[in-house]
Amino acid sequence: MVLDAPGTLTPATTTDDAGAAAPAPVVVEAHDVRRAFDGRGVLHGIDLTVRRGEFVALLGRSGSGKSTLLRILAKLDTDAAGTVSVPALPAVAFQDSRLLPWARVLPNVLLGLRDAAARERARTLLDDVGLGDRARAWPRQLSGGEQQRVALARALAGAPELLLMDEPFGALDALTRIRMHRLLRDLVSRYSPAVVLVTHDVDEAVLLADRVLVLTDGRLSLDEPIDLPATGRRSHPGFTALRSRLLTELGVGDDDH
Amino acid sequence: MSAPPTAPSSAHPAHPDQLPADGSVRVGIDDRFHRPAPRAAGVRRAAQIGSRALGPLIVLAVWWLAAAQSWVSPILLPAPGTVWDAAVDLVVSGKLQENLAVSLVRALTGLGIGIAVGAALALFTGLSKAGEVLIDSNVQMIRSMPILALQPLVIVWFGIGEPTKVLLVALAVTFPVYINTHAAIRAVDSRFVELATTRGLGRLALIRRVVLPGALPGFLTGLRFATSISWLVLVVAEQINATAGIGYLMTQARTVARTDVILVGLAVYALLGLVSDTLVRLIERKALSWSSTLQAR
Ligand SMILES: Nc1ncnc2c1ncn2[C@@H]1O[C@H](COP(=O)(O)OP(=O)(O)OP(=O)(O)O)[C@@H](O)[C@H]1O
Ligand SMILES: [Mg+2]
Repeated sequence: MVLDAPGTLTPATTTDDAGAAAPAPVVVEAHDVRRAFDGRGVLHGIDLTVRRGEFVALLGRSGSGKSTLLRILAKLDTDAAGTVSVPALPAVAFQDSRLLPWARVLPNVLLGLRDAAARERARTLLDDVGLGDRARAWPRQLSGGEQQRVALARALAGAPELLLMDEPFGALDALTRIRMHRLLRDLVSRYSPAVVLVTHDVDEAVLLADRVLVLTDGRLSLDEPIDLPATGRRSHPGFTALRSRLLTELGVGDDDH
Repeated sequence: MSAPPTAPSSAHPAHPDQLPADGSVRVGIDDRFHRPAPRAAGVRRAAQIGSRALGPLIVLAVWWLAAAQSWVSPILLPAPGTVWDAAVDLVVSGKLQENLAVSLVRALTGLGIGIAVGAALALFTGLSKAGEVLIDSNVQMIRSMPILALQPLVIVWFGIGEPTKVLLVALAVTFPVYINTHAAIRAVDSRFVELATTRGLGRLALIRRVVLPGALPGFLTGLRFATSISWLVLVVAEQINATAGIGYLMTQARTVARTDVILVGLAVYALLGLVSDTLVRLIERKALSWSSTLQAR
């Protein structure tokens, strides 16, 4: 079963025979993105490049503008200034599962997709998230974690080049969240979209991503790769070091925890 | 850790902790979660219906007693038996069916037109700014007027024939359908609209996949109001200048002081209301099986 398979992270660069790294194609290119609500600036010029296969975690305090930035990348915010270039239809996973209550699980996963290949993929994805036998269930018949798994399947059903997630596990209990982390890592390695994951959970960011951003006062105050093995990160000595550095960056001392 | 005791291969797999120490498997001890058998539930339901029928039965008994003891004049209130005989006569002569058919056609035509117009208007105003400006404000103004007050005007415009009766029903039906559907469309969760955008749904697909199903519960509420109001309006419309229909039957009976026939007409109206309400509830159950508020079977 997929849930037990070890996850591997796709490297952000492809290495040729000579060992020199050629950069992977760019998936997200944002330049000088600004956003103000009623004259109050939230984003003051964000520059961001995300390449194919990258898993980027976006950290920031509550109200720092993480969701605002993600919505801009998802093309859901038309009032932002700056230039953003993203794939035609980036997949979006929201904090709530946002399944249509009046559609069964499979039609929810297939929402907006028409080709036969998508149907095939949707079935496989439902198996991947362990809900292959619930294709005909109504969303209300699923638990919160199951609904979020369907949402994940839906996000990947269109074979997106880019997957944008806004605290997708925020509403889940700790145990379910750990399982979802494994599942996500596995699915990402299998379907290899570029990922931007908004989270306020430093552990989540360090466990899952291979690059981490911190948004402070409307700017990216930190942007660095995470050099940790794909699995077994929590017990790696580098984990605690990076974790406390990020906490400090977010203005929370390690001792406060 | 010791190996779990082996259970007979035919038995259901049991957790080792639940097995007795000797390794035997006991069956049927787990009645902690005993639920009443379906038959008991059926009996309870029958009892419930029975207790609800008690009130009407008492009324019937008092009515029968009042007539038998001549407490009231039979002109004012004939005995239950007399009313029953009148009903049988009407059925045997075919008069009841004839007039019932006329009433049904009027009600259904009016309902059909009213539902179609109400839903179409609600879609137009709910989905476009122009509709909101042009229609909604007007409808919201007219809705507070009692529809039956329009009767004189409708008669002046359309005469006293069939169109007037159907039109009155249609008018009365349009408003509840419109108002409830319109409100439901307006209340469709914008988060779903946002989701549809991220999935690249066009306007038509958005309406079909999100707006219509989201507004369905509101539409069905409107439908329930509409059916009950359609009978109300029909009753009044049929008692004026009609030449057929249940209301006509009752008006005729009044002129010859046949109170029993009037009572039969009342019973028919009550039955019609009950049947149509039950039908709408069935439709609701079927159409809203996804909703947690209405458990479908
Ligand atoms: N539609 C809006 N209208 C007005 N202000 C808004 C709107 N959306 C966001 N804001 C403001 O922009 C700021 C950033 O909001 P945003 O939702 O992006 O924060 P966030 O980093 O996602 O926070 P959280 O971690 O709590 O979700 C907040 O101060 C918020 O009040
Ligand atoms: Mg947010």
